[in-house]
Amino acid sequence: MISIEELLYRYAEDSTLALDGISLAIGEGEHVALVGPNGCGKTTLVKHLNGLLVPLAGNVIIDGMNTRDRTRLAEIRRRVGMIFQNPDNQIVGMTLEEDVAFGPGNLRLPPVEIRDRVDKALAAVGLAPYRDRHPHTLSGGEKQLLALAGILAMDPRYTVLDEPTSSLDPAARSKVLAMMTGLKLRGITIIHATHTMEDAASADRVVVMDKGRIVADGAPSSIFGRVEWLKDLGLAPPPIAELLWRLRERGVAIEPGAFTIEEAAEALAQLSGSSDGCVATGGGSMATSCIAPEDRDWTHE
Amino acid sequence: MNRYEPVAALGRGRSPVYRMDPRSKIAAAAALGVVTLKGGPYVLALASLGVAAMVVSARLSFRRLYGASKPALPFICIIFLLHLLFTEGSPLLNIALGPLKVTAVGFTEGGLLAWRFALLLQAGALLTMTTPLPELTSGIERLLRPIRVKGISSQDLALMVSLALRFLPTLQEEMESLKEAQLARGADFAAKGLRGRVRALSGLALPLSLAVFRRCDHLVEAMYARGYDGGPRTGLKGDLTLSAGDRIVIILSVAAGIACFVL
Repeated sequence: MISIEELLYRYAEDSTLALDGISLAIGEGEHVALVGPNGCGKTTLVKHLNGLLVPLAGNVIIDGMNTRDRTRLAEIRRRVGMIFQNPDNQIVGMTLEEDVAFGPGNLRLPPVEIRDRVDKALAAVGLAPYRDRHPHTLSGGEKQLLALAGILAMDPRYTVLDEPTSSLDPAARSKVLAMMTGLKLRGITIIHATHTMEDAASADRVVVMDKGRIVADGAPSSIFGRVEWLKDLGLAPPPIAELLWRLRERGVAIEPGAFTIEEAAEALAQLSGSSDGCVATGGGSMATSCIAPEDRDWTHE
Repeated sequence: MNRYEPVAALGRGRSPVYRMDPRSKIAAAAALGVVTLKGGPYVLALASLGVAAMVVSARLSFRRLYGASKPALPFICIIFLLHLLFTEGSPLLNIALGPLKVTAVGFTEGGLLAWRFALLLQAGALLTMTTPLPELTSGIERLLRPIRVKGISSQDLALMVSLALRFLPTLQEEMESLKEAQLARGADFAAKGLRGRVRALSGLALPLSLAVFRRCDHLVEAMYARGYDGGPRTGLKGDLTLSAGDRIVIILSVAAGIACFVL
């Protein structure tokens, strides 16, 4: 359990508060998306979760351990794994397996145990065949997977990902997102800072930040339905949420809160089982193919 | 294709040379260095045969070794020519270019020196080609362990070496992209003359240094996030252990090194 109590932080004496009274509790096994425009304090908040930054006021408590307590810092950092935006700046090893071994080595585990963890972690992210290669030879997405393996090898309870997909192409992005689902299946808590709403859609809970404060906290359906409000914050709602919102604006009696293409297709299919032959077939992919051109029509107005 | 792909990883397990402890290989290479620098032509010939035997037993191709030492060839040629032309003695050939003359002493001296350098290069290439980089750094770490510099452990030194090797290609990539960005804005890296080239390259130095510092900040943060605390660490391999063969190699290396000074 991570609990953040009345957290205040500023980078310099005379600057404005980067974090202005954040209180947040994250339970074990949760998948939380932390969204907000650039400069809202996401990264600053995230760096408090493993003691890279220490609060100016307030407390950050990880499983009962305060990040102010330097004697617990090693254990906090073992439990809270962190992945940064730029994969190149977090790889320290000359080979893949050396890199994954860095974290367990810092835990001073015996070599046999490290070997075992490294093998399992590399296999978990699908990089085992390249264990002896130089990390430089990997693609951006593979580097992020390597970073993930480095954290898995430390057997974490929480993983904090700070915009891990922002520099990746769509294929690599979906690979990294799939790995996050894998983390969830292992019961590892995920805290994912992102400004891509579609990435946030797979979370159980969305926390919206703006100007160093939490301005909304709830299920994705409750957040993404508020299309106008999101736009005012400078965030782009998922295209499908926007489409449904526009349909509602036009008087179509559709439930808000669908934000994946499949869900929206279901909602549309339930809407009318009659006139439109395409929707009547009801299948997710068929309905999707009907929505696509309409989407274009709406946005062109 | 990547230039930095560790060559040594490819041959792992194919020959006993790869399985040797990195420390005994470093010792052997160092001894070979001393022997080549101090020894006469007979010793050099013996050492060359030894290196050739190692190359064969490690199943390395001579073409590969040649490729690795190619960049140093001009240097070796210059050394040879300088000795050939500037050594005092009786002229070997009747060609005189002002004060320059080719002498027999110059020829043998230059030849020996060039031979020495070439052999040293081969010994170095042999070491790096048969030892994966992580093993090499752990060997260096173990050898440096008795030397305690205040506040810096030998593990930290080894970590520095491995970080440097890790970031070499990344920084080179960064330099390339800076170069491209500046070319796109009209910089001229193909400028003729030393002055023009220095000016063009100095335009890269500042942004590259800034990029390096920024990277360092992020890297340090990521290292702390992964539990680095400056204290002792463990690794994939346990502490290095010397086999009987390794011990023999080390003893022979030390003996050869000492012999060079005594005899």
